[in-house]
Amino acid sequence: MMPKKPSMTPQLTVDFIKRLGRTTMEMRFTAEAEILVLFGPSGAGKTQTLHAVAGLSTPDSGQIRFNDTIFFQRMPGKPVVNLPAQKRRTGYVFQQYALFPHMSALENVAFPLGRRRDARDCAMDLLERMHLAHLAHRMPHELSGGQQQRIAIARALATEPHILLLDESFSALDRPVRERLHEEIRMVQAERRLVVLYVTHNLDDAFAVGHRLAVVRDGRIEQIGRIDDVFTRPANRHVLDILGIPNAMSARVIETGPSGSLLDWDGIFLEAPPINAPSGAEITAYIRPEDIRLVYPDRSLSRMVIHNHLEGIVVERRLERHMYRLRVALRDGRLIEVMYPSSLYATMNPLPGERVRLALRKESIVVIAPRERVLPPAGTILPERVPDAGAIDPASSSLT
Amino acid sequence: MNWPAFWLSLQVNAIASIIILVAGLLIALLLARARFRGKILVETVIMLPLVLPPSVIGYYLLLAFGRGSPLFEWFNIRILFTWQAAIAASVVVGIPLMVQSSRAALANVDPVLENAARTLGASELRIFWRVTLPLARRGILAGMILGSARALGEFGATLMITGNIPGRTQTLPVAIYDAVQAQRYADAHLMVLVMTGLAFAGLLLARQLEPTPQYRRTDDAEEAVYDSATHR
Repeated sequence: MMPKKPSMTPQLTVDFIKRLGRTTMEMRFTAEAEILVLFGPSGAGKTQTLHAVAGLSTPDSGQIRFNDTIFFQRMPGKPVVNLPAQKRRTGYVFQQYALFPHMSALENVAFPLGRRRDARDCAMDLLERMHLAHLAHRMPHELSGGQQQRIAIARALATEPHILLLDESFSALDRPVRERLHEEIRMVQAERRLVVLYVTHNLDDAFAVGHRLAVVRDGRIEQIGRIDDVFTRPANRHVLDILGIPNAMSARVIETGPSGSLLDWDGIFLEAPPINAPSGAEITAYIRPEDIRLVYPDRSLSRMVIHNHLEGIVVERRLERHMYRLRVALRDGRLIEVMYPSSLYATMNPLPGERVRLALRKESIVVIAPRERVLPPAGTILPERVPDAGAIDPASSSLT
Repeated sequence: MNWPAFWLSLQVNAIASIIILVAGLLIALLLARARFRGKILVETVIMLPLVLPPSVIGYYLLLAFGRGSPLFEWFNIRILFTWQAAIAASVVVGIPLMVQSSRAALANVDPVLENAARTLGASELRIFWRVTLPLARRGILAGMILGSARALGEFGATLMITGNIPGRTQTLPVAIYDAVQAQRYADAHLMVLVMTGLAFAGLLLARQLEPTPQYRRTDDAEEAVYDSATHR
């Protein structure tokens, strides 16, 4: 129950290989007292990673270590270690809550405390901490999903874990419930200086709760870093796709200088910020949809640059909260996504089928690493940030 | 009414039920959890008494307990033509029902719950007693009741291996047969009624236990309870 001494920095080191059907997982990362979000499509190996840390599944080789405690080890020249799940002290919160249906809320929370004499008092304290003391004697089926999940969190905390694993824990819950639980998790994490691994496929959740983001694909981490860093500096095309960042493109550098560069995007010339790549290099970039402006048809283009100007036909318009999302087909068929606040362009009000003109600010083009990132050799831990992620414009890095 | 046969039947059935429960549960656990070669053969052999004629079961039991069998020669078990032989026949015919039902109940326990218990530090034994067994309880009890009911009605094999000695090895079903043979219909009527009543009650109980009720999940409307509690 006591918060850990702040001087001690908990550190979870994960580095393992596990074959799963046709793919081979190669998970490598470290996490400290923070909330690390594992984000990626289903089947990417996020849950498997949590299972490996918790001891619910056994990797083929590698090492999983928390501070000086080796959870799992199978490496050449070293003794094999596979600490049973019972001894790892990880709190695991499942998506389906996994409360014992034949026990009351209180009995569920007291379960990990075993025969300790103060088990009931401890469990009651934890329920109080999660604002559930008044429901202590209810059975799980008499509780709502949010309440059940809070009890599951209280139960996981009863073992006084150092590591908390959240496996899509809140994805079955409504938005307001989820937001409250995110708050609780952030508070509990800070209070107890827990290492929290949070698996989700919902980006809103990642932003709401995470300190850092690990983008998982095909059993590997494509990129890991602070969430806004990952968004403003995606390491490669896969990360763009997984994060759902639209308007990704491959382009060739025509020329580059201190004030900007010129790109050839399959026949469309674009002015972009300066790039850390030689002329002729192939690069990956994307255009921020919210940085694309619509041009009123009656206004002249005199003040626009000749290049970053596109024309197309609206194929789709959707209202998302306070933003319109347009999909515009250019003359050669490629699609561009444009986002703008619903309060803008009211007089123009572009509808599907109508012709629109688009103007791109130079800064709307974000160039990411000119080459695909290469994984470091086995046995090393990934650097926290990806080096030389190309040129970015720090002024326009607000994406939230 | 043949009271000695009635009491003997109850006695035999009580002991047989305990054996069916313990042995059946162990077999069910093995079949539900363990992976081994020839599992399907073991399953099939366990289920055989459901379809074999009672005379075949009786014949096998004669072989199993008779002179020259390992049980007779090495373990010195001599129960043929005693009332204990009726227990053996009861167990053999009752156990398939127990195994079937409790195995399904054990397999139905969500492995996520057992995993949750593991991460909460519970030993495998504790998980079995506190999580798996309570959750499979209804199916296990239903299996035991079905098995006992089937055992209570055992006739053919029992007739073959107990020798049908009135007052000593004669169980109720065999006594009914005897009564009918001797045209003591009043006796037979009563015993038939008793047997029917017991079987009916057993099946009814098993039916009530069998379908484990799905735990109802309430919708999040009940979050309001939380709100009112936290914003006091």
